[in-house]
Amino acid sequence: MTAPLVFEGVPLGGRGSQPVTLEIPARATVALLGDEDSGIGRLGGYALGLDPPPAGRALVFGTEISRLPERERLAFRRRVGYLPAGDALLQNLSLRDNVALPLRFGSAATTREIEGRVNVMLAAVRVAAVGGSRPARANEEECRRAAFARAMAFDPALLILEQPFDGLTARTAAELLEFARGGESAEGARRAILITGQELPGLLLPRIERVYRVSRAGAVELETV
Amino acid sequence: MLLSGILSFLVISQAVRELGRIGATDLIGTLIVVVIVRELGPLITALAIAGRSGTAIASELATNRVMGEVRALEAMGIDPRQYLVLPRLGACLVSVFVLLVVFDVVAVVAGFAAASFNGMTGARYAEIVLQSLSARDVWLTVAKALAFGLIVGLVPSWFGLSVRRASTEIPVAASRATVTAIVGIFLCAALFG
Repeated sequence: MTAPLVFEGVPLGGRGSQPVTLEIPARATVALLGDEDSGIGRLGGYALGLDPPPAGRALVFGTEISRLPERERLAFRRRVGYLPAGDALLQNLSLRDNVALPLRFGSAATTREIEGRVNVMLAAVRVAAVGGSRPARANEEECRRAAFARAMAFDPALLILEQPFDGLTARTAAELLEFARGGESAEGARRAILITGQELPGLLLPRIERVYRVSRAGAVELETV
Repeated sequence: MLLSGILSFLVISQAVRELGRIGATDLIGTLIVVVIVRELGPLITALAIAGRSGTAIASELATNRVMGEVRALEAMGIDPRQYLVLPRLGACLVSVFVLLVVFDVVAVVAGFAAASFNGMTGARYAEIVLQSLSARDVWLTVAKALAFGLIVGLVPSWFGLSVRRASTEIPVAASRATVTAIVGIFLCAALFG
């Protein structure tokens, strides 16, 4: 079975970094940690074809998104959930509309179906009460919760999360990771997840199958969890 | 409305007075149709919208870019041009056209007021204005409104989305967008001429 996400010889671009070859297996949560200047923040963009990698390739479900024609590239990205660093919620939309946005533009669902799905997602991340607020009126945790819900609007098999737990308590982070994993089975989580960031709360480690760290020398090393 | 009313009132007052001396008051029909309705109407309307909305469009889209919202849209499989640019372009086309109609109506009414003030009857004013107005004038005015609307919608959008990461680029993009849109409107008006 093809791994949902594979990086083959992709340079991180950080100081002295070496090309990264990394595989995110299905149903597994993998964390890649490193300093801010290590370049790990670029991997999400490479995977989604937002930026072409300077060398090597990033394969999502066996496909190099950056090589697809524009229309197909946009459509393909809907198969991947993406939480960018800083949430990037649209400031002129309410939290509810932010979650509904990808469904309105990228699905054939009716308004009623979209509303139903959004209600479920907002309730699952516990922001239903503030769903009508714009991001500027909500606190950081509520915005992050809504951004998680937006990333999972299409119920993707692969999630890419950039610094998803920064500024959150360990308990909230653990709750959101459970939500992102989508439940457990004998084979693991419901979806594959790549987490990039600088550090992870210890409470999350039991739920993360592999943790890699970019060393000061720029090499990616597997840490024992 | 104020701009249009004052402009038309001043031009027609002067024209009725000066043209009356040489017995050529019929020419005020041509003056109001060609100069105000066909030429200045679209131009001033487009300039006003470029100044007001062009700046807003450029700075809003530039902010979207800097805040990472454009990238997030792309990552969600939404074309930012479809989501961010197309509605603004449509709004510019509609608003330039609608405001142009308002501008021209106010200009003609203000012209009537100015002509009456200077001793011309309403019937005479209406007669010479309608005589001067041809289908070509109407189509040219509509075509200009659409062309100017395109410029006001597209140029600021392009400058706004061209910003990269720094928030200091936002005011630069806004001012460049407005200046370029204004120059574009004048060049386009010259092409129509």
